[in-house]
Amino acid sequence: GRLLVVPMDGSHWFTMQMIVEKLSHRGHEVVVVIPEVSWHMGKSLNFTVKLLLVLNTLEDLNYHFKFFAHNQWKTQEVGMFSLLKHSGKGFFELLFSHCRSLFKDKKLVEYLKQSSFDAVFLDPFDVCGLILAKYFSLPSVVFSGGIFCHYLDEGAQCPSPPSYVPRILSKFTDTMTFKERVWNHLSYMKERAFCPYFFKTAVEIASEVLQTPVTMRDLFSPVSIWMFRTDFVLEFPRPMMPNMVYIGGINCHQGKPLSKEFEAYVNASGEHGIVVFSLGSMVSEIPEKKAMEIAEALGRIPQTLLWRYTGTRPSNLAKNTILVKWLPQNDLLGHPKARAFITHSGSHGIYEGICNGVPMVMMPLFGDQMDNAKRMETRGAGVTLNVLEMTADDLENALKTVINNKSYKENIMRLSSLHKDRPIEPLDLAVFWVEYVMRHKGAPHLRPAAHDLTWYQYHSLDVIGFLLAIVLTVVFIVYKSCAYGCRKCFGGKGRVKKSHKSKTH
Amino acid sequence: GKVLVFPMEGSHWLSIRDVVRELHARGHQAVVLAPEVTVHIKEEDFFTLQTYPVPYTKEEYRHHLLGHLQNFFETEFSLKLVLQTMAAVNNVSTFYVRSCRGLLHNTALIQSLNSSSFDVVLTDPFFPCGAVLAMYLRVPAVFFLQSMLCELEFEATNSPNPSSYIPRLLTLNSDHMSFLDRVKNMLYPVPWMYLCHVNYGSLARLASDLLQREVSVVEILRHASVWLLRKDFVFHYPRPFMPNMVFIGGINCANRKPLSQEFEAYVNASGEHGIVVFSLGSMVSEIPEKKAMEIAEALGRIPQTLLWRYTGTRPSNLAKNTILVKWLPQNDLLGHPKARAFITHSGSHGIYEGICNGVPMVMMPLFGDQMDNAKRMETRGAGVTLNVLEMTADDLENALKTVINNKSYKENIMRLSSLHKDRPIEPLDLAVFWVEYVMRHKGAPHLRPAAHDLTWYQYHSLDVIGFLLAIVLTVVFIVYKSCAYGCRKCFGGKGRVKKSHKSKTH
Repeated sequence: GRLLVVPMDGSHWFTMQMIVEKLSHRGHEVVVVIPEVSWHMGKSLNFTVKLLLVLNTLEDLNYHFKFFAHNQWKTQEVGMFSLLKHSGKGFFELLFSHCRSLFKDKKLVEYLKQSSFDAVFLDPFDVCGLILAKYFSLPSVVFSGGIFCHYLDEGAQCPSPPSYVPRILSKFTDTMTFKERVWNHLSYMKERAFCPYFFKTAVEIASEVLQTPVTMRDLFSPVSIWMFRTDFVLEFPRPMMPNMVYIGGINCHQGKPLSKEFEAYVNASGEHGIVVFSLGSMVSEIPEKKAMEIAEALGRIPQTLLWRYTGTRPSNLAKNTILVKWLPQNDLLGHPKARAFITHSGSHGIYEGICNGVPMVMMPLFGDQMDNAKRMETRGAGVTLNVLEMTADDLENALKTVINNKSYKENIMRLSSLHKDRPIEPLDLAVFWVEYVMRHKGAPHLRPAAHDLTWYQYHSLDVIGFLLAIVLTVVFIVYKSCAYGCRKCFGGKGRVKKSHKSKTH
Repeated sequence: GKVLVFPMEGSHWLSIRDVVRELHARGHQAVVLAPEVTVHIKEEDFFTLQTYPVPYTKEEYRHHLLGHLQNFFETEFSLKLVLQTMAAVNNVSTFYVRSCRGLLHNTALIQSLNSSSFDVVLTDPFFPCGAVLAMYLRVPAVFFLQSMLCELEFEATNSPNPSSYIPRLLTLNSDHMSFLDRVKNMLYPVPWMYLCHVNYGSLARLASDLLQREVSVVEILRHASVWLLRKDFVFHYPRPFMPNMVFIGGINCANRKPLSQEFEAYVNASGEHGIVVFSLGSMVSEIPEKKAMEIAEALGRIPQTLLWRYTGTRPSNLAKNTILVKWLPQNDLLGHPKARAFITHSGSHGIYEGICNGVPMVMMPLFGDQMDNAKRMETRGAGVTLNVLEMTADDLENALKTVINNKSYKENIMRLSSLHKDRPIEPLDLAVFWVEYVMRHKGAPHLRPAAHDLTWYQYHSLDVIGFLLAIVLTVVFIVYKSCAYGCRKCFGGKGRVKKSHKSKTH
């Protein structure tokens, strides 16, 4: 079949790429639309790539993202609104602008139209894939870590009771105190109120392109299959819909043997083993003071540290710490000598940690990383540090705790065994569902009828109102007739007199 | 590992049996626990049958369990039928409570079960005696079922269950409902809830006595680590569910063997017209004579060969093309390319076999969810429903000719079939996987939603909403009062000053 892929840059692309590559291997014609300017996309791809002319340069992209990422070391923006509205705003506007460029590129649009695809496989992060799917009326498979705002509730008609389903970026767990539930409820209400403003640019572009006013709900509701990079080992159990597929841990696979360089590091670590330290591919630089503190703490533990860091080398770096520009994270974590994993708790790292059973010290920076860290912490498989407030002592203690306290290792091993015990490999599952949508031109039989109801119909408010009205009417009539009857019986005389009087007039 | 299987009697046993066979094949030991008096459960080589004495005889059991089935051919679908169904359910449940009490108070048996230290209890919770047993033995449980009375499976798992687009059992509603349908959808389950309360109440009391703490039926059902549900969204309407619910609809379809010589001969003799398979399920043994004659007459009017599974008296007007058999390999026959149509009572087993093999259906629903099943197949254009009470020979003849000759029925059922069979993993493997999963991990606590620990008003956030509302109202009240005060100060200042003056002078 023919598949159109609209990915999202950054770490999102790593897992999506695995699926797209497998689909391409299986003989599907895959066309990937990516902006000319990107971090990770467009490298060594063996399928058709359509480059999208965009106005910004890589510098712009970096500038905006760095502005955003660096901000996280200064003031942590808790909750979605500060994140989306403040430092993240420039970055998102840039992403949305890609979509406008796409539809201005008439040649590209014409090419895509002529290609008659069977389905679109898209990351909904920048909304553009959804607009494309709607524009070409193609069935779509969404690939995501989590959906912002209330668009999962609306787009998939998947209930998320705020009483035990923590909102995204809220840092709550599934067991909340009354106060937390109030806040959770308030963030849900805030999402409903403010998200439309945040996605205004995206919706404007969509309305322009589709030549009819649309809402985010209109863009999300035709989605055939929702694919999530999560697993209930990490995610709290919550209601799901038949067209949702969970493929968390898709990147969990047997590690490859280490290269000579890393093999040497690991072997030299002796009985203490190694600690792997990476803040992900997106964070290149840490403010100097923070980096020094980190370096100091690392020097105080007996393990060998492998630190992926591209910034300036901290002057106080200890001997046990090796700075590298890149490291084979999964392979290192899979090594029996891996004792701990210092991570920004992006979903990739978290799942690699779970997969290999390595306890974690987490320094969440932005986005869903806070939520991930919270989840690992509640499961007793890691310790979370606040990057803003943490001192060298905190980091040292955290590392010593996860390494020496047996319970962390036990918990992560339990999670690992649960996570790896599944009836079908996530990659196969992902490929199956993309192909399913291609074969059957969507999955209309998995579409809940709730999409066709208004909100008050969905909650049966009209029915309840109707029944209430009937009950009240009946009560009213019964009451009135009783009252009338009583008057007849007991107050009969007075009434008779009166009627008599009126007759005489 | 060691599996304790506590099945339900009747057709429910037939598909759990496949799972037991597969578990045995993978090297697990299965013990099937059944009452001494059974109809379907018999000793087989892939499990150990452990029976327990019950305070009734086979005759009594047959009479009470199956006796009322006759009624469905004779009573109209109406309130009376509903009442009858309720009475029947009540009757059956009384039996189950008696049998369950017999089991749970059988100290010797319980002790021997306890000492066998099972890894998992695989049970059909339609009547959740097995669940109580699992709780008592402190063994994790896997439930295997089609659906429960009052749709308790959704309450017990805490699946959201909006009545606005999820048709309630036995309402014959689809997922698209008019306003009045939705009113009906909301009201219909009310009397059933009463029935369930009565029905399961005695079991809950039994369980409370045994466990020496107060438990409700829902709590008993929450003992399940994983729910294996014999549903598929090709046939059931899409709806919310929870991560510990696994859908294995069509599990009974995989099990196909070549036809025996006898049936092979029948099928080959049918020529180009092919065959029609006719079965009203394993529970219906006899049809009232008049009805049987009408059916036989209609069957005689079509050119296909009819294979009719019927254990009652042979209708005198049976035509030559109709072959009465005491039993037929339903799935194998439906899988034969010469199968043209399937006359069924639309029990869930039959429906899934029909979908799996892509054979259009003529449906004669009798009771329970069969009406709903028939309705669903009809809306999908894959079958025709007949009312067993009113149907004449002509109706049946027409229905058969329609599904056989009108191409759209075949196309629709083939489409459903291809969607149904297109799945990443076979339902039987999935079922076995989850049973083994629960054995390996001693349950699946990470799939247990935190919703179980909330009260209903917390779950619906009524306390939070009330609190927020109270704040808003307080703020509004304060603002209003201060405004009012301010206004009085400004405009009514004079009067106020006067008054205060007055009071001072006193």
